[in-house]
Amino acid sequence: MTAIYSIFGRISETIEKLAAIHRLLPWILAFALLLPLPQILSALFNDYYIYLANKICIFILLSVGLNIVKGFCGQVTVGHVGLYAIGAVSSALISLHFGWSFWLAFPIGILAAGLAGIVVGLPSVRLEGAYLALATLGLGESVRIMIAVTPLFGSSTGLLSIPAPTIGSFTFDSYTNYYYLVLAAAMIGIYLSFSILRSATGRAFMAVREDTVAAAVHGVNVTKYKLLAFVISALYAGAAGGLFAHMPPGYIHHNNFTIIEMVTLLLMIVLGGIGHIWGGIIGAIIVTIIYDQTLEFYFYQPLLFGLTMVLIVIFMPRGIGGMIDRYLATKKFIASQEEKSNAAS
Amino acid sequence: MSIFNKNFIAAGMAGVFVAGMAASAMSADIRVGITMRMISENGQRYGQMVMDEIDMINESGGINGNMLKATLMNDECKSDKGVANAIKLINQQKVHILIGSTCSSVSLPIVDITEKAGVPQIIPHSTNDKITKKGSAWVFRVPVSGRYYAGVNAKYVGENIGKKIAYLCAADAASQNDCDAMQSQMKSQHGADPAYVAQVQEKEVDFRTHMQKIKSAGVDGIMIAALAETMARALTQSYEAGIPASVRRIGSSSASNSPVPSIAGDAAKGVFFAAAYAAADSRPIARLFNEMVKKRYGVNSPDHDFSQAYDLVRITEIALKNADLKLDDENLAADRTAIRDAIANVKDYNGLASGPISFCAAATPQCRDGNRTAVLIAYTKGGKDYKTEVLARVTMPIDFGL
Amino acid sequence: MDFDFSSLFAFLLFGVTIGVVYGIVALGISLIYSGLDIVHFAHGEIYMFGAFFGLVFSHTMGFPYPVALLLAMVCAAVLGMGIERVFYRRLTKGGGGYTVAGMGMIICGFGMSIVLMNIAFLIWGAAAEPFPVDLGMPFQLGDITLPKSYALTAVVAVLLMAALHYFLKKTKLGLAVRAVAANKDIAYLMGINVPMMISLIFGLACGIAAAAGVLIGPMQSVQVEMGYLMLLKAFAAAVVGGFGSLPGAIAGGIVVGIAENLGAAYISPNHKDIYAFLLLILVLMIKPSGLFGIVARVKA
Repeated sequence: MTAIYSIFGRISETIEKLAAIHRLLPWILAFALLLPLPQILSALFNDYYIYLANKICIFILLSVGLNIVKGFCGQVTVGHVGLYAIGAVSSALISLHFGWSFWLAFPIGILAAGLAGIVVGLPSVRLEGAYLALATLGLGESVRIMIAVTPLFGSSTGLLSIPAPTIGSFTFDSYTNYYYLVLAAAMIGIYLSFSILRSATGRAFMAVREDTVAAAVHGVNVTKYKLLAFVISALYAGAAGGLFAHMPPGYIHHNNFTIIEMVTLLLMIVLGGIGHIWGGIIGAIIVTIIYDQTLEFYFYQPLLFGLTMVLIVIFMPRGIGGMIDRYLATKKFIASQEEKSNAAS
Repeated sequence: MSIFNKNFIAAGMAGVFVAGMAASAMSADIRVGITMRMISENGQRYGQMVMDEIDMINESGGINGNMLKATLMNDECKSDKGVANAIKLINQQKVHILIGSTCSSVSLPIVDITEKAGVPQIIPHSTNDKITKKGSAWVFRVPVSGRYYAGVNAKYVGENIGKKIAYLCAADAASQNDCDAMQSQMKSQHGADPAYVAQVQEKEVDFRTHMQKIKSAGVDGIMIAALAETMARALTQSYEAGIPASVRRIGSSSASNSPVPSIAGDAAKGVFFAAAYAAADSRPIARLFNEMVKKRYGVNSPDHDFSQAYDLVRITEIALKNADLKLDDENLAADRTAIRDAIANVKDYNGLASGPISFCAAATPQCRDGNRTAVLIAYTKGGKDYKTEVLARVTMPIDFGL
Repeated sequence: MDFDFSSLFAFLLFGVTIGVVYGIVALGISLIYSGLDIVHFAHGEIYMFGAFFGLVFSHTMGFPYPVALLLAMVCAAVLGMGIERVFYRRLTKGGGGYTVAGMGMIICGFGMSIVLMNIAFLIWGAAAEPFPVDLGMPFQLGDITLPKSYALTAVVAVLLMAALHYFLKKTKLGLAVRAVAANKDIAYLMGINVPMMISLIFGLACGIAAAAGVLIGPMQSVQVEMGYLMLLKAFAAAVVGGFGSLPGAIAGGIVVGIAENLGAAYISPNHKDIYAFLLLILVLMIKPSGLFGIVARVKA
C-alpha cells in the first residue's frame, strides 16, 4: 500500500517539474504516453480491452462532468443521464436525417445538451438538496420516456447505423481508431476540468457548495454559478453522448439511459471521490474494470455495486481520491516535522 | 543474486505455467459464445438448456471428435452490455460462433459487430425485422421474424374478427416491431386503420384509462404487444374495465411465455397469438420435448423460446458437423467462414419448429430468416396449468413483408 | 357536442383509486421527511418488500388477507428500522445530524434501493407473481367495474392517515415524535429518547409503505421491479401535496393519479408517466411547499 502511495507522490513531483517548464507539457506527455495503448493492450491481452478503453474514456467524460456540478458545486443532480441521452440522440439524428458529418453533428449535440442543461439547472436556483434531486430525477426520466415513445427519436427500436466519423479517407470505425478520438476528447475534458476547477470559477463553485448564503455575502453570484455548473456538466454529458452514439456499432436505445446507468455514474464519482479533482477519472476507470472482471457473477453484480455505494458513503465519504489526499498530506506533514526536528538538532 | 535464488525459480515456473495455459487454451475445441438475457422469468432456463444440450453433445463424443467449449454471458436486454459481451466473446474467447441474443434491441447492434469481425451469429429469440434487413452475410435467424407473424395475425384477424383494432404497444424493440408490422399488415391486407394506438412503458402497471378509451371506441379486437408480465396485467385490466370477451384479445409473440397465462389467469382464456411452437403440438417430437423440459426445468407447456433455443443447438450441431474445421490459431478466420457457410447450407431442417427451417448463402432476409412457419395459438385455459390449442399453421411466402 | 361524461367519471375514478396508493407511499415519505429531514430514496423497495411479505404470509403461509397485511407491515417496519440503525444512523455520526448528511443520505438511499431490489431478486427471482385475493364480486358503478381491492385501498388510506394523525396529535408518544421532528437537540435536553423516536418514525413510515404494497398486489401482481416506478410517482405525490403534510400526501397522490389518467385520456396516451413528472417539476418550481405544506425550515 505504502509503495502505491509513494508512487503517487513521485508522479506528482515529476508533473510539477514538467509543468514548471510549460503549462501544457504534462498533458501533451500524458496524451503521447496513452496513444499507443491500443497496440499495447492488443499485444498483452486482446482487442476487447481496446473497446473497454473506449468505454472508459466516455465514462471519464461523464463522471468528470457530473463531479463538477455535484462534487464541486454541491448541486444534487440525478438527471445526468438525460443530458447524456440528449447529446447522443441529437448528434445521431442530425447525422442520420440531414446527413451532416460527425464534425457538425457532434458540436450541435453538445450544444443541445448544454441548452438542456440550462433547463435542468433552472430548478437548482430555487431548490436545494432532495427537492433538487427529485426535480432532476423527473427531468431525466422524462427525457428517456420521450425517446421511448417518439418514433423520430428511435422509440423502442432504437437508432441504427449511426455513421462513424471520418477525416478524409480515415474512418473512425474500428475501436483502435475510435480510441484516438475519445482519448483526445477525454484529455481535453480533463484538462478543461482542471482549468475550471483551479480557477476563480472553481472556487466560486466550492463556495456555493459550502454555504450559499456566505457565498452570496462575499459577492458570488450564486444563481450564475449554479447555472454555469449545470451547463458545463451538460456540455460534458453531451460530448459523451455524441461519442457514444457514433461509436461502432452506432446504435442507441432508450434503455441505455435508465436510472441504472445514473446510479452507475453516481457510484463512479462516489468511489473516485466526490469533489476531488481526480474523482471522476479514478472512479470511471475502477468501476468499469471491476464491472468487467465480475461479469460472470452477473447474478450478484448489482448487489455488489449497491453495497459498495452504501459502504463508501458511510465509511469512506471522500472516496479513493480523498484517501490519497489524506495520505499525501500526512506524508508531507511527517516530512515537514522531520525537517523541523533535523533543523533543530 | 544466484539464478538458483528461489524467487527466480518461482518466476520461471510461473512463466512456463502461463505459457502452457496460453497454448492449451487454443487447442482443438470448438468455441461457442452465448449472450442472452438471463434475468427474466425463464431467461436462465433457456440459457441453461443451451448449455445442457452442449454438454450432452460433448458427452456423446463431441463434433467429429472435437469438444464444444461454451461461454454463457448475460446481457440484461441492454444493447451496450450485449455489444460488450459480443466483443469479449469474439476477441477474448475467440469464439468460432456466437449465439445471441434474446432481445431485439441487443441483437440489432451485435449484427454489425459480427459482420465486421467475420463471426457467424445465430439468433435464438429476436424477432425484429431489421435484424436481417441489414444485409449482413454472417447472421442467421432461427425464430420466426415479426413480419411473418404480422401477416398471419392480420389475415386471421381481418377474416374472423374484424377490422377495428386497438393497439397497446410496450416500449421494447420486439413489441414495437410487432405493433408496427401488424398495423401495416392490417392496412395493406384489409385497408384498416388502427382504432386506437397507445405506447406504454415496459413495466407499465395501470392500463385502466387505456381500456376505458378502447371500450368507448367500440373495437373488434385489442392487440397487446408487450413482454409477458405487462401483457398479463393489461389482459386482466381489460376485463376489469368491462370489455366483453367477444372483443378478442390478440397477443404479440411474447404471449407464448408462461407468465402470461399464469398471471392473467382467466383473462388469458381466448387470447390468441402467433408463435413458432405450440406446446399443444401433437407431433411425437413435440410431446417428447415437452416432457424433457418438464423433467429437467420444471416448466409445463414450454413456449417457443424453449423450442427455438433447442432447434438452434441442433442446427448448430448439424452445421458444425458438416464444416471442415482446422481448429488452430492461424485458421480462426477460415474456420468461422466455414461454419457460416455450413449454416447457410442447412436446408429443410425439421425439428420442433412448426415448419422446415432453411437458410441460404445470400445476405438477404429471404435467406437469413430460416423459419417461415407461424402457428396461431389460443389459450383455452389460464392459470398455472394453462392449456392451448392450435388454430392454424401457416407457412408464409419467402418474400412476405419485404 | 355530446361529451362522454361516463368516461370522464371513469377516468376520475381510476385516478383516485390509483392515487390513494401513491398517497399511502407518499405518507411514509412525508413522515420520514418531516421527522428526519431526509428524502428516503429506497422507500419504493420497502413498498416492494411489503408486497412480497404480504404474498408470502398470505399464500405460502396461508394467513387470511388482513392478518397478512398486518404481518407484512410489521416485518417491513422491522426491516426499515434495521436499515436505519445499521446504515443511515452512521451517516450522521460525523455530526450535524441528518440534515447535514444531505447528499450522502441521497446517495446512500440510491445504493440501498439497489441493494434491496437485488436481495429481493435473489430471494424471489425475476418472475412476477400473481396475488389473488378473494374479496367477492367487484362493485358495479354504471358500466364501470371496480374490483373491491381498489375500494379497500382507499378505505385503508384514509384509516392510516387518520390513525397517524391521531397518534401524532393525541398521544404522548406522538408528542415525543413531533418534538424530535421539530428540534432533535432540544428534544434530547427534554429527556426524550431521540434515537428510539427516530427508529419509530422510520418503522412507521416503512410499515405504511408495506401496506400499500400488500393492497396493490391483487391489482397489479408482485414483481421485484415494482418499487422504482412507484417511488417516482409517490415523490410526485408528496411534493404536490406538500412535503411534511400528512393529509397533503394523500391529496397529492389523488391529484397525481387524476392528472396522469386525464392526461392519458385527453392529451396523449403515450406520455402517461410524463404527466406525473411534469406536475412534480411544475409544483417544485412554482410552489415548492405544495398544496398543504409548510415552507421547509432547516432543522438540526
